[in-house]
Amino acid sequence: MTPIQNFFDPELLAQTAFTVVVAFTFAGALIAVLPRNILYNVLGLILCLTGVAGIFLFLGSAFIALMELLIYVGAICISIVFAIMLSRPLHLSLPKRHLPKVGGALGVALLVFGVLVTIISRTPWQPAAERSNDWSVTTMGVYLLTRYDLVFEVMSVVLLVAILGAILITGQSRKRSS
Amino acid sequence: MNSLTTYLFIAAALFIIGIFGLLQRRSLIGMLIAIELMLNAASLNFMAFNRFLAPDPIIGQVYTLFIMGFAAAETAIALSIIIALFRRIHSINIEQARDLRG
Amino acid sequence: MNAAWTQDPNLLAAALSALTPFAAFALIMVFVRPYPRLSAGISIAAIGVSLMSAVFLLARNWSLTEPLQITVRWLVSGDIRIPFGFLLDPLSLLMLTIVATISFLVQVYSLGYMAGDPGFSRYYAFQSLFAWAMLTLTISPTMIQLYIFWELVGLASYLLIGFWYEKFSASEAGKKAFVMTRLGDIAFFLGLLVVLIHFGNLNILDMNGPQAAARLSPALLTVAALLIFGGVMGKSAQFPLLTWLPDAMEGPTPVSALLHSATMVAAGVFMFARIFPFFSHSASAMTVFLSIGTITMLLSSTMAMVTRDIKQVWAYSTISQLGFMVMGLAAGGYAAGVFHLTTHAGFKALLFLCSGVFIHQYETNDMFVIGRQGGRGLRIPMLCMTLAAAALSGLPPFSGFFSKEAIMGVLAGRHNPIWLAAGLLGAFLTAYYSFRLIFIILRPNPAEKAHAKAHGGHGNGHHAAGLYWVMAGPLIILGAVTLALGFFQGPLEAFLAGTHAVSESHGAGHHAGLLYAAVGLALAGTGLAWLEFGRKGAAQMGFVERLPALRALFANRWYLDHLYRRLLDYVIYGTFSNLFTRNDRRVIDGAIDGMCRATIGSGRLLSFVQSGMLQYNLMVMFAALALVALGFYFLG
Repeated sequence: MTPIQNFFDPELLAQTAFTVVVAFTFAGALIAVLPRNILYNVLGLILCLTGVAGIFLFLGSAFIALMELLIYVGAICISIVFAIMLSRPLHLSLPKRHLPKVGGALGVALLVFGVLVTIISRTPWQPAAERSNDWSVTTMGVYLLTRYDLVFEVMSVVLLVAILGAILITGQSRKRSS
Repeated sequence: MNSLTTYLFIAAALFIIGIFGLLQRRSLIGMLIAIELMLNAASLNFMAFNRFLAPDPIIGQVYTLFIMGFAAAETAIALSIIIALFRRIHSINIEQARDLRG
Repeated sequence: MNAAWTQDPNLLAAALSALTPFAAFALIMVFVRPYPRLSAGISIAAIGVSLMSAVFLLARNWSLTEPLQITVRWLVSGDIRIPFGFLLDPLSLLMLTIVATISFLVQVYSLGYMAGDPGFSRYYAFQSLFAWAMLTLTISPTMIQLYIFWELVGLASYLLIGFWYEKFSASEAGKKAFVMTRLGDIAFFLGLLVVLIHFGNLNILDMNGPQAAARLSPALLTVAALLIFGGVMGKSAQFPLLTWLPDAMEGPTPVSALLHSATMVAAGVFMFARIFPFFSHSASAMTVFLSIGTITMLLSSTMAMVTRDIKQVWAYSTISQLGFMVMGLAAGGYAAGVFHLTTHAGFKALLFLCSGVFIHQYETNDMFVIGRQGGRGLRIPMLCMTLAAAALSGLPPFSGFFSKEAIMGVLAGRHNPIWLAAGLLGAFLTAYYSFRLIFIILRPNPAEKAHAKAHGGHGNGHHAAGLYWVMAGPLIILGAVTLALGFFQGPLEAFLAGTHAVSESHGAGHHAGLLYAAVGLALAGTGLAWLEFGRKGAAQMGFVERLPALRALFANRWYLDHLYRRLLDYVIYGTFSNLFTRNDRRVIDGAIDGMCRATIGSGRLLSFVQSGMLQYNLMVMFAALALVALGFYFLG
C-alpha cells in the first residue's frame, strides 16, 4: 500500500514526532519553573518527564522510557503531589518575585548554558571502535545480575537507608516540635 | 534527531532551566521540582552518549536506572527535610531560613 | 691620631682652651648639679684653664707670619673635603683671648650676682657650654665648623636668656632671640651652600685666598656675600633683625655682659672680619653692608635716648656699636673694625657689670629709681661706669677714643661724605644717651622722690663684704683695661696685619680736623646731657621726650616689633599656618579618615554577601563551576 506509506513519509513523520516530543518537554520544563502556583509546577514536571520518556524512546531504549514513566512520573511526582496536598502551601500567599534574584538566576543559567554549548560544540565526539547492537531487555537483566550486580545491591541499600532516614528525620523533628 | 549534539543541546537546555528554577524559586518544593529537572537532563545526557558513542548499549541504560533510583531516594529524603524545616520555621519559603546570615 | 699631638704645644693649648669648658659642662650637667659651689668651681677652673691657654697661645704666636692650621679628616664626599680642627692666626688668637678673658671675669662676677639662685649649677653649666661653643667658633678653620658652633652659641644664648624660665617674658625673649637669629642663619647657610657648590670647599684660608675670586663669578660672589651677611645680621642684631637684643636683657645681667655685649653678638662682626678678603671682592655687597651698618647705628642710638631701663640703654648701645663696627669693616677698615671690637668688648662688659651691681643692690632696672635710691653711693660701680661711658662716647684718653677714631678715619676715606656724617652724628648721640644715664643716676631729681616712695625698688642695702668684692674685682680689672687698651693700638694692628696681606683702605691717615670734630661732637653730646639731666634743677627730660610722637617712635623701636607682629599674624599664622593646618586636617587626616570610612563601608557592602540565603550561594557556586569547567576545557 504505497500511497499511505508515501503520504506518511516515515522520515518526516519521525522528525515531526520528535519535534512534538521535544516541544512538550520544554513546555513542561518551563511550566515547572515559571508559574508561582505549585500545582502548575508539578503538572508541568509531569508533562516534562513524559516528554523525556519520549526522547528516551527516540534514543532507542523502550525499557528506560517505560521505567521513566513508572518511577519518575508514577512515584516521584505523585509523592510530591502528596506532599503538596498534605501540607498547607496552597493557603499561603504567593510571594512577590525578587527582580535581582531572578536576574541573577537568569544570568547564571545563561552563563552555564553558554559554557555547556561551547564545550559540546567544540568537542570532537568519537564513537567507540567496536559497537555492539544488543538492545534487548534480557541482556540488561543478565548484566544487572552478573556484571553490574554491585550497582543493583548498592541501589537497594541506598533505598533502604533513604527510607530509614526519612522516617528518622520526620520522627525526630516531630518530637522536637511538639 | 540523528546527531549526538541535538540531544546534548536539549539536555543542556533542560539542565539550565532546572538551574534557573533552583536559584529562583522561593518554595522548597519548587526547588525540589527543579532538581528533578536537572537529574533528568543528566539522564538524557547519558542516554545520548549511550546511543551514539558507547561500545556497549547496556551501560548507559543501567546508569540511567541508577540515576532514577537515586532520584527516588533523594526525593524521599528531601521531602522529609522539608517537613522538618517546616516544623522549625513554619514556612516553606527558603528565604525565611537565614540563621547563617553574616 | 697618634700621641704626637700632645707634643705640639700650640695644638695642646688650643685643644685645652676649647675643650675644657665642654668637659665642665658635661660634668656639671651629669654629675655635679646638686652641688652648686662645686659646679661653680669646676666651671671657673675650666674657663681659667682656657684663659691661660689662650694667653699662652697669644704670647707664643705673637709674631706669627703664617696662619697655623691643624685639622683632621672629617667629612669627605667626592671632591668636597671638610676637615675639623683649629686655625690659629692673629684674628682668631685675639678673639680667643678676648672671649676667654671676659668669660672668666663674668663667671667670677656671677659668683656674687647669682648667689642664692636655685638654678646656680645650671647657670654655670650653661656658661661653660657657651664658653666651649664660642671658643671653638673663634678658632674654626672652616665655615661649616664655624656655623656649627655659631648655632651652639645661639643655643647657649637661648638657654641663658630664658634662664629664669618661670618668668613668661624671659622664655618669650629666649624664643624671640633664637627664632630671629635663626632667620639670619638661614640666609647664612644658603650663602655657605652657594660657596660650597661653586667653590668646592669651605676652608676659611682658601676662601680668603685668591682662588675665590678666580673661581666664582662676581655675581655669585655678591650673592654669596649678601647671603652670608644674613648671619651677621641675625647674630649681631643689625637692621632689621635687631629687636631681639633689647628683649634679651631678660636674662641675668652677667649673661647680658658676656653674650649680648662683648662676645656672642660680636661673633657676627668676627665672622665678617674672618672672611673679610672674601667679602671685599664684591664692592656692591660691601656698600650694602655699609648702609645696613649705618642705619642700625643711627636707629638704635635714637632708641637708647628715651628708655628708662639701664640694661636697655646699653643693649641699644651695643646694637649701635655693632653697627659702627660693621660700618668700619664694610668701609675697608679691617684693623680698625677689629680693634673697635676689642675695646668695645672691654667697656661694654664693664658697663653691664656695673649696671648689674646696681640692679642687684636695688632690685630694679629703672635708672630713675636707682638714682633716687642713692645709686651714686656705690662708688666703685659708679666710677667704673662713668669711665666706661666716657670710653663709649669716644672721649680721650680711654680705649674707645682710639678705636672710634680709627673707624672715623676709614669712613673719611670713602668718596661719599654721608658715611662720615652718619658716623659723627652717631658719636654725638652716643655721648648724649650714655651721659644721660650717668647723670640721672648721679643727680636724681628731688621732686621725684615722692614718685620713688610710691613705686620704686626696695633695695636691701646690705651686701656681704665678700660677695661685693667678688663683683667689684672684675669691674676694677675691666676698668683698668679700658684705661690702658687704647695705647696698645699700634702693636695690635701690627699683630693683626702679621700674616696675610689684608687689603686695607688706608684712605685717610689721621686728619687732625677729623680728630677734633669727633671729640668735639662727643663733648657736645655730653654737654647736652649735662644740660638736660646733670645740672642742678634740671628738668630731667630729654629734648626728644618733649615731642611725644618722636618719643613714641623711639620707645616703640621705630614700630619694628609691631611690623613683625603684623607679619607674623598675617603672613605666617594667617597664610602658612592656616594652609598647613588645613592640609593636616583635611588632607592628611581626611585621607586616613577616608580610608577608615572606605574600609568600614566596603565591609558593610561585602557583608551583604553573607546573606544567609542559600540561593545566592548556589548562584555563585554554579557560576564558578561553569568558569572552572571552561578553564579546564581550554587550558587542560
